[in-house]
Amino acid sequence: MAMIPWRGRTLPVATLMSLREEMNDLLSRFWSHTSEPFGLAEWSPALDVSETDDAVLVHAEIPGIDPKELDIAVVGNTLTLRGEKKSEAEQQGTNYHRVERRYGAFTRSLRLPAAVDAEHVTAKAAAGVLEIRLPKREEAKAKRIEIKTD
Amino acid sequence: MADPIDVPVETNHNPLQPPESYFVPATDVYETADGLTLVAEMPGIKPDGLAVTVEENILVIRGAPGPEVSDGEVLLKEFTAGEFYRAFQLPADYDTERIDAGLRQGVLTLTLPKSERLKPRRIEVKVE
Repeated sequence: MAMIPWRGRTLPVATLMSLREEMNDLLSRFWSHTSEPFGLAEWSPALDVSETDDAVLVHAEIPGIDPKELDIAVVGNTLTLRGEKKSEAEQQGTNYHRVERRYGAFTRSLRLPAAVDAEHVTAKAAAGVLEIRLPKREEAKAKRIEIKTD
Repeated sequence: MADPIDVPVETNHNPLQPPESYFVPATDVYETADGLTLVAEMPGIKPDGLAVTVEENILVIRGAPGPEVSDGEVLLKEFTAGEFYRAFQLPADYDTERIDAGLRQGVLTLTLPKSERLKPRRIEVKVE
């Protein structure tokens, strides 16, 4: 029996809005050069990056990936994240109704906004979110210059 | 004393009513000999920010991540933030009383056992 997502009693306006969103999404994916349309592109984790006075913080969404199997490398001012998202249910006698999650190996590189101390990079993961903390090198830290007045 | 205006008006809250704006978690649905399994991705969601309900054979998964803690200047933002919502109409063949739910590494796994009466059963033929 096929599973049909239940859409509820939505108002016609809401249906139109979601249709418009879908069209926008479709068009933006169609014109995008970085990813293939219709979700055929390979998966790579979504990243959030922020910078404080003394560190660069990188968060990555890694649902279902064992953090121990991730490879995090810092070379110069480039951070590279490597890993693989594996499907848990590749057994015989499994009848798929819906496959929306994307699997496979990924590599994602990021140029860091400041020189970091590669020796003191720390990483931790919780609830499928990886947090990498890259402390800045002394010379890259923001310094406040005191202005002398006579 | 709290200002009465600040109290959220949520009397008669309908669990089937989706929030005004939400994102849809990517979900795999597959069937094995024992039952149906749903696997939904929701990185950053903690168990207390998630609700799974079944009403009239409609399974609803909804929730929201905790408050965002942002440090410093944001340089790149790719995370899907905000509430999420997903509803599935379940076939009648599953036992909604015995749903098993687990949240691990940002992945929610729901297992619904097949109703006992629908499990394949071997009928012995008596020979007289």
